[in-house]
Amino acid sequence: MSSDLVMDTCLLAGSIILKNGGETYRTEETMALIAVAAGMDDVNSSATPTSIILSFRCSGLDHTRMVRTPKRTTNLNKITLVNDVSRRFVSGKITLEQAYRRLREIDQEKPIYPKWMQHMAAAIASGSFAMLAGGTWFDLVPSALAGLIVNLSLEYLEQFVRMKFFTEFTAALLGGLFALLAVALFPQLHISIIIIGAMLPLFPGIAITNSLRDLLAGDLVAGVSRGVEAMLTAVSVAVATAIILWLR
Amino acid sequence: MFVQGLALSFFSSMAWCVLFNVPVRTILAGGLAGMVGFCVFSLLPIWGAEVLLSTFVSAAIVSLLSQFLSILLRVPSTNFSVAGIIPLVPGSLAYKSMLAFVNNNYVEGITLATKTLMVAGAIASGLIFGISVVTIWKGARYAGKRTQRD
Repeated sequence: MSSDLVMDTCLLAGSIILKNGGETYRTEETMALIAVAAGMDDVNSSATPTSIILSFRCSGLDHTRMVRTPKRTTNLNKITLVNDVSRRFVSGKITLEQAYRRLREIDQEKPIYPKWMQHMAAAIASGSFAMLAGGTWFDLVPSALAGLIVNLSLEYLEQFVRMKFFTEFTAALLGGLFALLAVALFPQLHISIIIIGAMLPLFPGIAITNSLRDLLAGDLVAGVSRGVEAMLTAVSVAVATAIILWLR
Repeated sequence: MFVQGLALSFFSSMAWCVLFNVPVRTILAGGLAGMVGFCVFSLLPIWGAEVLLSTFVSAAIVSLLSQFLSILLRVPSTNFSVAGIIPLVPGSLAYKSMLAFVNNNYVEGITLATKTLMVAGAIASGLIFGISVVTIWKGARYAGKRTQRD
C-alpha cells in the first residue's frame, strides 16, 4: 500500500471534516484510525481549528504533511458521510482507493439543501423562536422576514468581506434596522420580540457545541479557540443590538 | 399554548437542521430533540424549578437524547444536539440586558448579563453532563467486555 495514497486519503478526510464544521478531536481520530487501519506505524495526528498535521512511519521512512483550512462552513452531512467512509474502510469493507475516490466525491458535493431552502429555514427558525420568546401571531411575519434578511446579508457579505465577525455584525445591524422599520410602520408590533427572533440565525450553536466537545475530549487549544469564536460572535451581535436600541 | 410551543420548537429546531445541512434522514430526529428539550424546559417550572435548573436538566436530556439518536441512526451526535438546544437559548434575557445597558441602567444590565451567562453555562454543563454519562457508560461496557475476553 503506497504511503502517499494513505497520506492523501487521511488528509482529505481530515480537511473535509474540519472545513465543514466538525470537531477537532473527530478530525484527529478519523485520520489516525484510517492511517492505522492502512498499516502505518507511529501514527500521530494533530489538528487545530485552522490546520492539520499528520505524521506516520512507513517501511522505515517518516512521512509528515500539513494542510491549512482557511475557509470554513457548516455542512454536517459531509461529516456524516466521511464518518461512514472511514468506518467502512477501517472495518475492511472498502479498499483505500475506493475510500479516496469516495472522499473526493464528498468533497465536491454541493450542499443537499438549495440556497433558497436555507434562507426559508432561517426565516422559519426566526419566526418560531420569536413566538417562543412570547410574541403574538402578528410578530411572526416581521421576525421571519428579519431572520431572512440576516441570513441573506450574511451570505452576500461573506463574498466581499473576509472578516467573519464584521459580517455578522453588519448582518445583525441590517436585521435590526428592518425590525425598527417594521415597528415604525406598525406600532402595535413588539420590537423586542422581533429583534430576538432576527438575531437567531447568528447564534453560534456549532461553535459552542464543538468547543465543549473538544474541551471534553482533552483538546484544550481547539476548545478554547472555538469558545473565543463563539464569544466574539455573541459580542458582535450584542453590539449591533445595542446600536439598534440606541437608534430607537 | 403548550401545544403551540411544542410545534414551534419542533419547527425551529428542524429549520436549524436545514441551516446546518444535516442529512435528510435526521431532520425529524433533530426537531424531536428540540421539542423534547422545550417540553422539559417548560414543564419543570410547574414543579417549582428555577430557570437555571430547568435549563440544565433540559440541556442534559437533549444531550442524552442526541447521543442515543446518534447510536441509533449512526451519525455524529452534533447533528441533533446543535438543533436541540435552540429553544433553550436565552434570547430575551440577552436582549433585556442590552436594553438596560443602553438605558444607562448599568446595575440591572449587569444583573441580567450575569443571568444570561449563567443560563448559557447551564446549557453548556447540561451538554457536558450528557456526553460524560454516555462516555462513562461506553467505557464501562468496554471494560466489561475486555475482562470477559481476558
